[in-house]
Amino acid sequence: MKRSMMKKFMIGLFCTLLSLPAIAQEDELKDLPGYVDFGDLSSMYGEPKIIINLGGTMLNFVGMMSSSESPETADLISKLKGIRVMIYSTDENAGAAKSQFAEVKGKLNSSGWEPIVQVNEDDEQVMIYMKMDGENMEGLTVMVVDEEEAVFVNVIGQLNPAELGKVMETLDVDMDLDLD
Amino acid sequence: MKDYDSKLDGNWEQQINALLDGELGQADADELKSAATDDRELARAIVEAYQLQQVMADIKVERAPASLNKRLRAIPREQRPAAKIKLFQPRWVMALAAVPLAIIAVSIMQPDTPSEAEVAKARQELAIAFAYLDKAGTITGREIESTVGHTMADAVTGSVNRAIKLQNETSKEKEA
Repeated sequence: MKRSMMKKFMIGLFCTLLSLPAIAQEDELKDLPGYVDFGDLSSMYGEPKIIINLGGTMLNFVGMMSSSESPETADLISKLKGIRVMIYSTDENAGAAKSQFAEVKGKLNSSGWEPIVQVNEDDEQVMIYMKMDGENMEGLTVMVVDEEEAVFVNVIGQLNPAELGKVMETLDVDMDLDLD
Repeated sequence: MKDYDSKLDGNWEQQINALLDGELGQADADELKSAATDDRELARAIVEAYQLQQVMADIKVERAPASLNKRLRAIPREQRPAAKIKLFQPRWVMALAAVPLAIIAVSIMQPDTPSEAEVAKARQELAIAFAYLDKAGTITGREIESTVGHTMADAVTGSVNRAIKLQNETSKEKEA
């Protein structure tokens, strides 16, 4: 009995130790007003194929690294407090992702986020939301769901989409995203 | 004898020891001498005691070899029962577990400098995030264009960008 309890305690302790960094990172972003909880689709689609959680500290280092190459990029990054990306493969079964999409949309509408652009096609849905605090932008949320993938992007801080193109050149993005 | 036998066994023996140690009072010493005068056994016991004391005083103290001293000193340690610390008692497990937990917690709380590889990885992740943002912008622009035409699409996406840009510039001016 005693040994069994000890075993459980040791397993619990081990799991706690492993998850501490992730908890700390998530907590850092959760406290920010531009943070959005996208929920969890892993029960339906398995683990996300891409998951990105960049906090303010790491973004500062990326900004510093980029400052010598492009002050514009460094300036854009300096206004960011965090970036989160979760991408699931929907494998031509986007139903669950669309339901989640609607749920997140409801949460955003009721918590002060404003819809900027929405595309509602049968095979593709795109939503871009922005949260403002007076004249300051607190966050940008982009959700894309199609038959191949469900994309959730949460930018915390300020971002000018018009500058994305220039920044991407600096960051030397070599990606082939399917836009069809 | 008598009377002496009982005394030699008990009181006289103590008196002889006291006499040899110089601790016997004058009255007792006189009594002992008087008794010894009458009792040869007692007199002999006193003499033998003196002789024994003399012999003991003449014995030289030999120092034991260092190795023997060392062994003798070790005997109490070896015979002492080993302290049994039951490491699997819950309090010990918790105490031991708390140490790495505290170290990890402290290391997480302290903003340490990431390695160059970690920053490069973060930069790549940021690029991926931007690529997906760009993708969303492209899709929305294309959908608007196919629905309402190129001019209107530019007007809509352009106005969105302008709106966001405007607020960024306003913030910049405020900061300045």
